Amino acid sequence: MTILTIALKYLRGRLVASTLTAVSIALGVSLVIASVILARGIKEGFISGATDYNLVVGAKGSPMQLVLNVVFRMDLATPNIEYTIYRDLQQDQRVGVAVPMALGDAYHGFRYVATNGAYFATSPWRRKTFWLAAGRLFPDDPPNAPTYEAVLGAEAAAGTGLRIGDRFYEGEEMADYPLTVVGILRSTGSADDRAIFFSLSSFWGMNEVARKMVVKPLTAVLIRPKRMSDLPSLHREHNVAPETQAVLPSGVLLTIFNMMAVAEDVLTMILAIVGVIVLLYVFVSMYSATLERRREIATMRALGARRATVLAIVLVESCTLAAVGGVGGILGGHVAAYLAASLLATRSGLVTSPFLFGALQPAVLASVILLGTFAGLLPAVLAYRTEVAENLTPLS
Amino acid sequence: MIGIFRVCLIATLFVAFVPTGLLAGSYEIPRLTFAQLVDSIRADSEVTQTIKSYSGKEVAIHGFIIPAGPPDLSFFMLSRVSALGNYCCEVPVGQDETVYVFAEKEVKITYDPLRIFRIVGVFEAGMRADPTIGPSLFRVRNARVEEASGAKIFKVGEMPAAASRP
Repeated sequence: MTILTIALKYLRGRLVASTLTAVSIALGVSLVIASVILARGIKEGFISGATDYNLVVGAKGSPMQLVLNVVFRMDLATPNIEYTIYRDLQQDQRVGVAVPMALGDAYHGFRYVATNGAYFATSPWRRKTFWLAAGRLFPDDPPNAPTYEAVLGAEAAAGTGLRIGDRFYEGEEMADYPLTVVGILRSTGSADDRAIFFSLSSFWGMNEVARKMVVKPLTAVLIRPKRMSDLPSLHREHNVAPETQAVLPSGVLLTIFNMMAVAEDVLTMILAIVGVIVLLYVFVSMYSATLERRREIATMRALGARRATVLAIVLVESCTLAAVGGVGGILGGHVAAYLAASLLATRSGLVTSPFLFGALQPAVLASVILLGTFAGLLPAVLAYRTEVAENLTPLS
Repeated sequence: MIGIFRVCLIATLFVAFVPTGLLAGSYEIPRLTFAQLVDSIRADSEVTQTIKSYSGKEVAIHGFIIPAGPPDLSFFMLSRVSALGNYCCEVPVGQDETVYVFAEKEVKITYDPLRIFRIVGVFEAGMRADPTIGPSLFRVRNARVEEASGAKIFKVGEMPAAASRP
């Protein structure tokens, strides 16, 4: 019999205790893997979902609320700005592209986003490209003749079950102005997948307050300057103006990342404590198992087994437990990350990848095996030092 | 015996101090200031030969980060003036006040719009149009970014010793 087969036999001999030890290791590892993957995934989700536009101009208020609402469709919409601000920006020599946005209301939780055709236009500087899966885009209709045509993001279409030609509305007051689905977009891997797009005229037409307003309202204007070096002056100009604020979307996201870094530090401490608890559990498990079978070890020694062999058996046992727990933990961690990512996407629209493979998984597995073996070192030394004469005395 | 001890002592001192001496006299990264950059711009959007002579060389520039590009800071702008200061200083207008920075790898800093950062990378001077970022006059590629607490921002007329070398 080899050392490995003896070790496995010992583990099978106390199956419940061995299984519980492996499960506790797996739970600890799952927690580490899921936490790290989710933290990274959220950051990656924010980066990949970030807008290609360099500046967002909206009403005075929280910059974070403005960016989260306009770009990621989270949080509430900021107060309105006047449509004239968009017109002025369009005529500004420094502005290359200006896209008006009006947000508010939702259908089955999928946010309404009113804009114009420029939002879907492709450009060399845009990473995001919109492709239609079916139908067509809505036209840039004039304010006095809204078409009430809507284009659904991929997830919005799947979630609502709406098809081309379907008419829908939410809330009694909207019953007179139902929207008609004319197009469905392919997935972009961003918050746009969960949006319902239509024209600004339709938005103003279906909202009673906006209908009565002479100067129509907007939530924000997305801006791409002709020259990046004009960005600071555009930013400053709209920040010192009494009715608007200008926000660099990446600046807001970097602030969010800074806050996440603090949370990650706290999480790292918690995970380290979890790691120590799991190690202690492995140690206690192996130690008590070694104490229980001192008589067996003494018998093995009496039959000719060397001290080194006894030491190796206990080390292989703890190493095997750590390896099984580690592999189970990595798999479990990915499952937990997948479930959490799905929940996050449903509730907040943030698209994260739960299957980020890299150096993390092998590094965690190697560390778990190493530390698990280390936890079995003292019990192994105890087994190594087992005296034959002392432990083979008659039990009576 | 004493002779061997002396030889060992001299050898130890040689090993310990000679590399330090060599490093002290080694290449020092020149620092460029916004004052120098502004001063170098000609009426036809060209730049002086003095500034052009830094092209292709590694330089250090201190300034405020304007996250104009993606949030991973693979591209951003460096400015003399903070993007968030609404009361201080004149608004930077035009190419002269900003340097376009392309990071070497993922930038791992705690972003603070009110903090001065030091970037070190390969300098490029001269007008160039890029389909993704548009026209730019000063660029730094393969940049490394680090915090530069307490760094002095030089004004027009002032020259740091390293950068004023011909």
